[in-house]
Amino acid sequence: MVSVSNDKNSNIASSPPTGFQVIFREFIKDKLALVSLIGIILVTAYVFIMAYLFINVDEIMRVSLRDKYAAPGEKFLLGADQGGRDIFGQLVIGAKNSLEIAIGVTIITSIFGIIVGLICGYFGGWIDNIIMRIIDFFITIPSLMLIIVFVTIIPKYSQYDLVLIISLFAWPGIARLVRSKALSEGKRDYVNASKTLGTNDFIIIFREIMPNLSSILIVETTLNFAGNIGIETVLSYLGFGLPPSTPSLGTLVSYANNPLILQQYWWCWLPAALFILIMMLAINFVGQAFRRAADARQRLG
Amino acid sequence: MFMQIDNLKVHYPVRGGFFNRVIDHVHAVDGISMEFEKGKAYGLVGESGCGKSTTGKSIIGLEKITSGKIIYEGEDVTNKRRDRKSAYNRDIQMIFQDSHSAMNPRKRVQDILAEPIRNFLSLSPQEERKRINELLAIVGMPEDAKLKYPHEFSGGQKQRLGIARAIATNPKVIIADEPVSALDLSVQAQVLNFMKDIQNEYGLTYLFISHDLGVVKHMCEHISIMYKGRFVETGNTKEIFENPQHIYTKRLLSAIPEVSPIGRIERKRERVNVETHYQKEHNLSFDEKGRVFDLVPVTETHFVAASPTIKEVI
Repeated sequence: MVSVSNDKNSNIASSPPTGFQVIFREFIKDKLALVSLIGIILVTAYVFIMAYLFINVDEIMRVSLRDKYAAPGEKFLLGADQGGRDIFGQLVIGAKNSLEIAIGVTIITSIFGIIVGLICGYFGGWIDNIIMRIIDFFITIPSLMLIIVFVTIIPKYSQYDLVLIISLFAWPGIARLVRSKALSEGKRDYVNASKTLGTNDFIIIFREIMPNLSSILIVETTLNFAGNIGIETVLSYLGFGLPPSTPSLGTLVSYANNPLILQQYWWCWLPAALFILIMMLAINFVGQAFRRAADARQRLG
Repeated sequence: MFMQIDNLKVHYPVRGGFFNRVIDHVHAVDGISMEFEKGKAYGLVGESGCGKSTTGKSIIGLEKITSGKIIYEGEDVTNKRRDRKSAYNRDIQMIFQDSHSAMNPRKRVQDILAEPIRNFLSLSPQEERKRINELLAIVGMPEDAKLKYPHEFSGGQKQRLGIARAIATNPKVIIADEPVSALDLSVQAQVLNFMKDIQNEYGLTYLFISHDLGVVKHMCEHISIMYKGRFVETGNTKEIFENPQHIYTKRLLSAIPEVSPIGRIERKRERVNVETHYQKEHNLSFDEKGRVFDLVPVTETHFVAASPTIKEVI
């Protein structure tokens, strides 16, 4: 038994931990990140299961004046708003919408940003010059204002339109970061070697360079995800997000604009505000653990 | 003639000024010609920054050529170099100086070795596996190395894997860009002897780029000395070492250290002599801009850069 365990130890010592092993160790060391990760997974799973299987949106959004500002209690877990609508149900549906939009935006912008960034960084030259000028253009225009303008102009928009509009302004940041990494990675000798071995450019970009940037891509995607939850909430708060009939975290928080509600009916806005706060913090903790795992100098484990 | 390089030039633009215009050029490689015969090793020696690596890289197609021609088996391949799947690209391979960074850290050895095989030879998966085992056997590595990652090997082992990858497609020419300068001396000898063995076995032509005259003397039949992007002297190994003509070559040869303490003082005196000679004759060997003169023949195979005025003296 002793010799077996020794063998195992020496095996682990001889090969430096890679990929998931490093991430796993980082989470074991950082309890806050571990708790955050488990929390995010549970909350997300709960929100999606409840929203799709158990909660009927029409029922929740039905106005019943008898329950106006009902306090948290037996009938409503977290009370009701001025239309007598269940806050808890709205919170779950709102969270589902925010998460869906954030996931959609993150996926679209990541794919597009990574592809554009890699192509710019690898080829350089005039391709890089042209695309970077386009990216500079997108970064300099005030995106929030333009999103609001778009939302106002489009007569009947849905969740999908919102995802596309937000994505339109969110990809340049990712593309820029990926480009800067691809620029240095593309000058490495293994890329030169692949060229002399007859591998074509697109295979080099996506099979050789991209896996070597995977750690930075994971980190960036996670942190962007937190930011994208924020964008949808901000738009809804300002009244330009999802259509008013759809429950949203931003709408719930915006109830706090009314001093009466802010002071007396705290249950209308506080749960949503806390939910956003805790969600964002948790995702950031997880993202930071990923970031430390990606950079050997910052690692805890 | 198997392969020929004719008046190869690689110039890089220097940009500057208000409109970022080209204001000057760096003459990394400035008009060199070489001829290769099958199965021989050609050395390219020079100080760092003289354009040796650029020469190698431009021959294989990693650098753009400003002007000049590369003729391979009677065909002008100057513009074909960058077309990755051509026969020229299959026949000419490269061994990199830093074998560690020349292998993708995310790939296993079997995928690294399979890369050229998949690109150039259409083999079935079984044949491919067989070829990889064969390659590992040639470079003397155990078969279980296939599943490992590059970082699990020592420097010498990695360099041998680099060689295995370079010979995977049965190339005819191998450009070895300082293949042993990152290794310690005992491993250098091992890798060099191994390279000689496979050269004899497969009839490879080497272009051996190095700054180490001892290594080049051991490996090559023909040596070209490079300085500031031009050849100062080119000839057989024997001619270069026994009858150096150019002051730069003489200076380079006198700088080879010798470990024997006997004759230390004489050797030092000679080095000082060569150095004063170099300073004195600098104007005779380089033109007013410091550019190396064109080559003039000394014997049939031995050429040296000399000014037209002192041509007669030699």
